[in-house]
Amino acid sequence: MDTKIKIKSTNLNVFYGEKQALFDINLDINQNEVTALIGPSGCGKSTFIRCINRMNDVIDICKIQGEIEMDGKNIYAPNTDVVSLREKVGMVFQKPNPFPKSIYDNVCYGPKIHGIAETKDDLDQIVENSLKKAALWNEVKDRLQEPGTSLSGGQQQRLCIARAISVNPEVILMDEPCSALDPIATAKIEELIDELKTTFTIIIVTHSMSQAVRVSQKTGFFHLGKLIEVGTTEKIFKNPTNNMTQDYITGRFG
Amino acid sequence: MNLLILVFIFVFSFSCFFFGKSQIKKIAAVNNFKTKALPHFYGFYLSLWCALPAILIVFLWTVFEPFIVKYLIISGLEQSSLADIDHDRLNLVYQKIKALYFGTYSGAASEQIQLGAKQYGSFLAMAQNAKIVLVFTAVIGFTLVAYKKITNNTHAREGVESIFKVVLILCSVVAVLTTAGIIFSLLIESIKFFSQINFFDFLFGLDWSPQKAFVRDTSIVLTASEKQELSNAFGAVPLFAGTGFIALIAMSVAVPIGLFSAIYLAEYAGSNLRKFGKPVIEVLAGIPTVVYGFFAALTVGPFIKSIGDTLGLDVSSESALAAGLVMGVMIIPFVSSLSDDVINAVPQSLREGSYALGATKSETIKQVVLPAALPGIIGSILLAVSRAIGETMIVVMAAGLAANLTINPLDSTTTITTQIVMILVGDQEFTSAKTQAAFALGLTLFVVTLILNFIALSVVNKYREKYD
Repeated sequence: MDTKIKIKSTNLNVFYGEKQALFDINLDINQNEVTALIGPSGCGKSTFIRCINRMNDVIDICKIQGEIEMDGKNIYAPNTDVVSLREKVGMVFQKPNPFPKSIYDNVCYGPKIHGIAETKDDLDQIVENSLKKAALWNEVKDRLQEPGTSLSGGQQQRLCIARAISVNPEVILMDEPCSALDPIATAKIEELIDELKTTFTIIIVTHSMSQAVRVSQKTGFFHLGKLIEVGTTEKIFKNPTNNMTQDYITGRFG
Repeated sequence: MNLLILVFIFVFSFSCFFFGKSQIKKIAAVNNFKTKALPHFYGFYLSLWCALPAILIVFLWTVFEPFIVKYLIISGLEQSSLADIDHDRLNLVYQKIKALYFGTYSGAASEQIQLGAKQYGSFLAMAQNAKIVLVFTAVIGFTLVAYKKITNNTHAREGVESIFKVVLILCSVVAVLTTAGIIFSLLIESIKFFSQINFFDFLFGLDWSPQKAFVRDTSIVLTASEKQELSNAFGAVPLFAGTGFIALIAMSVAVPIGLFSAIYLAEYAGSNLRKFGKPVIEVLAGIPTVVYGFFAALTVGPFIKSIGDTLGLDVSSESALAAGLVMGVMIIPFVSSLSDDVINAVPQSLREGSYALGATKSETIKQVVLPAALPGIIGSILLAVSRAIGETMIVVMAAGLAANLTINPLDSTTTITTQIVMILVGDQEFTSAKTQAAFALGLTLFVVTLILNFIALSVVNKYREKYD
């Protein structure tokens, strides 16, 4: 398959105050692929994906050096419009965080603020499509006006995915999306990720080796803020070049 | 004298602590056993048993002594020549006796009163001696009992814990009983009031002029029409309206300013500014209300009047507007401080979820943070309303006294609390309907604020559970 680089990080350094969280990260993310980031807790995986939609801007003490290019444009260039960047780069969080609104309003929140839908019918259509893509439509189509928080954990997370895809992004960042879910809900989400990759570019942070193997085509191993090794998932898990990667994926540390 | 006794108890109990602590160590060493609790628990045990019963005795004695002495004197009087006079006269004689004994009696005292004063003195001395003996016995006795228990190696820790529990229970019982007592006295006086004035005339009457009742002698039986006239003088609607109106003005100042400053502090201000700004706003709540009263009556009131004069409006120098504005400033911190807390309690993940969809900060606040914090914000506003309704000093000083039924904010108006103050200031007879009206008003106020507080707290609590 002909792969195109969607996101390219060059010499990315991130500091939280005095503490450096990421060291010279150079990582290419391919379009319409799932890239998994693995590594022990606190190694900088989440920090890295939060750089891609500039979520770290919210944190006062966070300083970023280096470049991240998306479609060849540096997203840290001074004239970047963060709002339209985040419209293009959706995010799903570790803990499901539906807004305290109805299921319908949760999904139409993004389209509304970006003025994507012209009419109520358009909006209905977007909500239905997003929920269908997130494999939640059949479960909630009769209770769209109930609060999003009334759903089960797995349903809430799929609602959050529906919310993220409602604005038609190009990239979806997933920060341990299954860590709060049971195996059945996890299986559903993994299945979903596999389908979504035809439309979106997906980056997923995970602590589960088997999940990385199941869903991703490319894997990066982070340790103490450094990108130790990156390659196709098959290569990383069958034939890693670095000893640390070897130790981590076989469960000897982390 | 009480002070000396208390000092003695404290010193003794303090030394008991160290005595008990060192004694248990010795006993344990001599008899070669392991104490059930740490040594200082034995010290506590001894000193608590030494002090608490004695303090209780001193307290009860001090409360009941005057009653008993009075009873003894009066029953003495009744047996002597004064047997046939009524209770009020006896009371008067008793007061004279007391006055003579304390040297505040003026004029010549009769022989009987002099005799009574002598008796009074001897009763007091007797009571004092008895008290001292009793307290000493209690201190020594309870200490000995406790010491005996210590030497038997009782479980001192459990003893101390249960004593603490009892002390805590007693304190909360005092708080609850006081509340019950206040409600009870309000109820009793209100019932007396409503036996004279029709309940519905009070609640729905449009005319408030309680001075009409003052000239009446309550012992005269009223005709039906007079009764109706009296009833009509106590229509509390102007007061309810005035209270609500001023509270409304106050809230229209406090809610926007308080809420917006809370949003700024919670969402936009840096952590340093927040650390500094929040306490500064809370200082507003610490200013005595009487100072706000000055401010309203001497600065804001005349200011509004002068503006009104230049605009050609007729402004009363005491206006609902002045009182309401200043009261609004006073309750800003109630709204802002609580709202700030609830806005901060909205999980950061919700904000991030919104940002991640490309929402701006103000969109996030309007559409995600505020709806999530809304129940808490409503709770804080309701608490502020109940504060505004109960506020007295500002309205007394700045809103006027005339019970006008008006919706002109430039007119003077009056509130429930102001009228209560008016009614009870100065010498009053407690049987007149006018005075009792104060209690009926107080009861109304109490019920309204109670309901508001109840709703506010349940709303706030419901909100708290949501994110746990």
